[in-house]
Amino acid sequence: MGFQEIVFFVMGILAVALGGCLATRRNPVSAAMLLISLMVVLAGMYGMLDAHFAAVAQIIVYAGAIMVVFIFVMMLLNLPPEELRFGTLTVGEIILTIAGIGVAVALGTKVGQGYLVSALQLSEARAPLLPETENLRNVAATMFTDYLWSFELISFLILAAVIGAVVISKRRHGHAESA
Amino acid sequence: MLSLPEMGLYFSFLLFLIGLFTVMFRKNILVMMLGVEILLNAANLAFVSASRITGTMDGQVVMFMVMAVAACEAAIGLAMIISLYRAKASVEADDLKLLRG
Repeated sequence: MGFQEIVFFVMGILAVALGGCLATRRNPVSAAMLLISLMVVLAGMYGMLDAHFAAVAQIIVYAGAIMVVFIFVMMLLNLPPEELRFGTLTVGEIILTIAGIGVAVALGTKVGQGYLVSALQLSEARAPLLPETENLRNVAATMFTDYLWSFELISFLILAAVIGAVVISKRRHGHAESA
Repeated sequence: MLSLPEMGLYFSFLLFLIGLFTVMFRKNILVMMLGVEILLNAANLAFVSASRITGTMDGQVVMFMVMAVAACEAAIGLAMIISLYRAKASVEADDLKLLRG
């Protein structure tokens, strides 16, 4: 196991551990802080997977913009820490959960890998490592040729979301108290 | 011996489980939305790993689109949470029974 694999493995374990902490945290603000750390770790993993543009976008867009909005709203609402009530699971639900995890693990091991290799027509050999400076150029070339239509649609979606957010959170003076 | 992208796929599976747990078993709607963000990030990790495996850029482009969708989802969701908080003074999912859910 080379140095890269060890670092990547440690980062992955760290990401999963941060996620586990998040899922059991009482205070929403510390949960959001943990999610920011999780995103930074994920950005490192993207960087090791030769996706440099994805790594930078992850930090700027996710950790820098989306999570700030989340924390802004949490502090605006000024919530008390939540009481953790995970509810009670019935026996059937536990059995279904274990069965689902089992199916997913089975799909993830050799059976599923063989299927994936044939379905995606992957060769077992690794794809060649891309030159380091080429990532952004390649992403841009793909995004603005094959995915140009999707890109324009996404911009329209963001416009619709902004208008929707303003309309939803607008205070209606006429019947605000009856809501 | 797993390569980096294969390990990435396994970690994305684990992260997806954690996100699913958060969405299903937490009562606070804000934390449930954080769980949705974990789900989207797990999908993104899978996309980037697959992009590394195939050696094409499609996965990274789709990951960028997912990021934009996540931004929209956060904007709309947080607006709805603020509006709900004004109406009910609570962000607990159990308190929202208007639809008899």
